[in-house]
Amino acid sequence: MSILSACEWLEHTAVAVVVRESLWGFPILVGLHLMGIALSVGTLVWFDLRLLGIGLTRVAVSNVYRRLMPWAFAAFVVMFLTGGLLFSGYATAAYGNAYFRVKMIALVLAGLNALRYHLVTERTIATWDRAELPPPAARLAGGASIVLWTVVILMGRMISYTMF
Amino acid sequence: MADFLNWLQHTWLATSVNDSLTLTALTSATHVVGFALLTGGVIVATLRLTGLAFTEVAASEIAATTRRGTFAGLSISVFTGALLFSTRATMVGTNSTFRIKMALLVAATLFQVLVSRRLVQRGAGPRVLQATGVVGLALWLGVGAAACAFILLE
Repeated sequence: MSILSACEWLEHTAVAVVVRESLWGFPILVGLHLMGIALSVGTLVWFDLRLLGIGLTRVAVSNVYRRLMPWAFAAFVVMFLTGGLLFSGYATAAYGNAYFRVKMIALVLAGLNALRYHLVTERTIATWDRAELPPPAARLAGGASIVLWTVVILMGRMISYTMF
Repeated sequence: MADFLNWLQHTWLATSVNDSLTLTALTSATHVVGFALLTGGVIVATLRLTGLAFTEVAASEIAATTRRGTFAGLSISVFTGALLFSTRATMVGTNSTFRIKMALLVAATLFQVLVSRRLVQRGAGPRVLQATGVVGLALWLGVGAAACAFILLE
């Protein structure tokens, strides 16, 4: 099954039809998606700023992560659920939209950046957890995260204006 | 008021943004980035004010750090929001949901500057700081909810 035919199948599921045809469903999902992304990325940014040595520098990096991530993850769940539902309603149009593709690439890169941080960079955290300025690898992860999530938001809004 | 809104909508800046889909979309996207920066700062400050996180550092220190992010986000949001408003001033200016959003925005900003900031600087008690954090966050989330309702009802 090609990606396009998978999108066509998805678009014809009962959930996708409800998203597309209900009067309130789509705008409610858009509103929740925007709130989800603002709250998740807005919170995540403060962990990234800590990695960059710019904000919350008197708090240990691990503590910033432990305290902020549950809130960010909760908002991420809302963002991904509503984003998935919105995609299902207009899957083929989204698949053909250049901004959607850039958004997906940025999302995957943001995920890989987080994975690399947890699997590689974080392994030595005991040596720099309380350092005001974390090592270059950690700063790179924080900077890349801010850039990639900004691209995700920018592309997301571009989709709204170019797909319908 | 109607004359002012009509004039605003026909200024060079408003028509330039309105005539360009890319400019309108970029302005709208930057508006969301600004709001994300703003709410993130408010959430971190609220976690400290309510005593849920970062209690090893003084509330005033966390508030001072997050305030820079909050005001950067607010500045971006207000600037891009004003640009977006100018492109459809006559229609949006009379929209009741938009007026509620603006009222909440003014209330949240005044609360942040006149109440929250002063109470934190004076070293108010934990109960007062908790209440301040919750009210401040609720007001900003109210701005976001009104913005979503505006999209919903438009």
